[in-house]
Amino acid sequence: MKNTFNRRAILQGSGALVAGVAAPSVLRAQTPIVKVGVLEPLTGNLAYNGTQCAAGAKFAAEAINAAGGIKSMGGAKIELVVVDAQSRPEVAASAVDTLVEANVCAFTGATASALGLASSQAAAKYNLAQVFSIGTAETVVTRGLPNVFRFTPGVNKCTSIALENLKLLNQGAGNVVKTAAIVHEDGPFGSNMAKILAEELPKQGIQIVETIPHPTPHRDFSNIALRVKASKADILIPSNYINEYTLMARALNQQRVELKAIYSILGGAASNIKFVRENNEVAQYVMDCNHWYDPTKAESKALAARVAAAGLDLTYDVMVSYATIQVIADALERGASADRQKMIEALAASTFDKSIMPYGPTKFVNGDNTSAQPVNTQIRGDKIELVFPKQYASAEAVFPVPVKKN
Amino acid sequence: MKFQSWGQCALAFFAIAYLAGVYFASSPIWMGFSINALIVTLAALSWNITGGLGGLSSFGHAALYGTGAYASAILQVKYGVNAWFGLGGGIAAGAAMGAFIGGLAFRYGLKGSYFALVTLAFAEVLRICASSFEWTGGGSGLQLKLMPGLAQLQIIERPWIYTGLLAVVGLVMFLTGLIKHSRFGAYLIAIRENEDAAEALGINTYKIKVQAMAISGAFGGLAGVLYLQLWLFIDSTVVYGSAVSVEALIGPIIGGAGTVWGPLLGTLGLHLLGEGTKSLLPNSPGLNFVFYAIVLICALRFLPQGFVGFAARFGAFNKKERDDA
Repeated sequence: MKNTFNRRAILQGSGALVAGVAAPSVLRAQTPIVKVGVLEPLTGNLAYNGTQCAAGAKFAAEAINAAGGIKSMGGAKIELVVVDAQSRPEVAASAVDTLVEANVCAFTGATASALGLASSQAAAKYNLAQVFSIGTAETVVTRGLPNVFRFTPGVNKCTSIALENLKLLNQGAGNVVKTAAIVHEDGPFGSNMAKILAEELPKQGIQIVETIPHPTPHRDFSNIALRVKASKADILIPSNYINEYTLMARALNQQRVELKAIYSILGGAASNIKFVRENNEVAQYVMDCNHWYDPTKAESKALAARVAAAGLDLTYDVMVSYATIQVIADALERGASADRQKMIEALAASTFDKSIMPYGPTKFVNGDNTSAQPVNTQIRGDKIELVFPKQYASAEAVFPVPVKKN
Repeated sequence: MKFQSWGQCALAFFAIAYLAGVYFASSPIWMGFSINALIVTLAALSWNITGGLGGLSSFGHAALYGTGAYASAILQVKYGVNAWFGLGGGIAAGAAMGAFIGGLAFRYGLKGSYFALVTLAFAEVLRICASSFEWTGGGSGLQLKLMPGLAQLQIIERPWIYTGLLAVVGLVMFLTGLIKHSRFGAYLIAIRENEDAAEALGINTYKIKVQAMAISGAFGGLAGVLYLQLWLFIDSTVVYGSAVSVEALIGPIIGGAGTVWGPLLGTLGLHLLGEGTKSLLPNSPGLNFVFYAIVLICALRFLPQGFVGFAARFGAFNKKERDDA
């Protein structure tokens, strides 16, 4: 049998093979790509929030790419580089190396202030911009790092706006709330909040009749619920984390504590759909002042649909992460470059007003977005509705809450 | 630091080659990763003094690590003390905490699992205290002001950070070697082997154990301070969390408890394994830990004497020393 594979045939075949293999890369090269980092705690104790944030970033990149990508860069598609901070600051800082090596133009993250503080500091060495999705600690923006951009509000702004909104709600209801009980975790988050409330609530004509600190973790809230009941407070203002918040709400319901409202500030569970789903009865009418999107925007509705289709919870983590990718995309569009320094300059000059968040045009002052604001949400049925301020509201606030029929 | 076999020489050579190779790696990931590994190595060397040489296994070395970090942070943040004095303060605080825990536990004759549980309890109590008091920054933790420069012990250039850490790890390994081959080290090893017999021979076991805890605390405090100076931020979970205690003990156990090179080899090996599994499974966060755990269990099962003990089997310089390894 004659061997049909002569040298010419082999060369021809090899040429065809090389061309075939190379073709996809030639095609790929026709679509420019710009890499954006997502640094979130995908494992560890913050894994739920981090995973939600990563999902939000993914939805945003998909939406931007579907709309034609970054037009000023020839329709460049956003490619996310997702890295795990493992809920540990030193890992978050090391993960910045991975992002730099992947040649990202900027990155978003990192759910908790402790992680973001470490990562932004590491990123400063590379002149790489970090757009904070969540980082409420004020130290995030007081270090003078030029690469830090916090898109969402910090704890000071959240507290002052929450109290202002409470005042307006109470005035609208004829000042029915005259007394308040405060239940707070005894760490700085809860303790500082309680201190501010003790100073500010009397100025609104609301007398504090009971202040109850508790450690974290804390499991039995029966006595705390009974103390709140005995105080006959009109309103309860809790400052605690998700598990304690949930257990407290259950205990209040079990002890049939009659309140005109439960009003949280950066509430651990009050803006979490998981709490609504798993504790629907006790969650009704709970109000929170927290990060939330503008539900009236078409893009917000589209995001809600995509999140539902993916079988995920629609939490504020998804929303803020989505919005930070929008901010980065806008900076890319204006700067028309993925150069790190140009990204920092473009972000610093950002006046973006098309994000899904209920903010005005972005204005970064020392890295802090001064147009960011929290909003009031209220749990109604199986949904979390935005109730205040009115221009973004998806439902009317129910304040005070209806008296329960026993 | 005497090697007993060609296997051990090869192991040390590979570790040195890796550590030197980091300078020439094209990717910055390796240096960042190695910096973290060296900080953990210091904590592991701290554990090795008590757990390895003295057989006083602690489950709560985070108590020493965290105390060093917090002492330095408080001195710098609340009292404006220079970072170098903060370093001294952190080391002293770590040593004092070690002596305190040891003094209290050994005063009541706690040993074995009881001692391990007491150290764990101390670490937990300190974690809760640190997260509760305003003085320690509460749940928000403490943050150092960014002041780059050697004067404030804040080095920005990573090759210099890495070089500095290599020097510190080398120094602590050298001190470990000195301790191991000193009279004090011999007392400590005697206590590990048979405390009653050591006492019968006239060794003041209580004093030796407390001193060992103090030395261990100084090393642990040093590791905590260097972590603080590197990341400029600590909170109660980061430095007093159980993860710190586990990392401090697992490196020496895998590498070879009671040896000079064991903590470094074990920590580097485990971190490389973790990084490797992460690279192999980039899109499955968390799954790398499963793989990591399986390999860890296998290592514990098949390398009871750690890497150093395993390497001693290959090309022993003489049979007696191999059997001693």
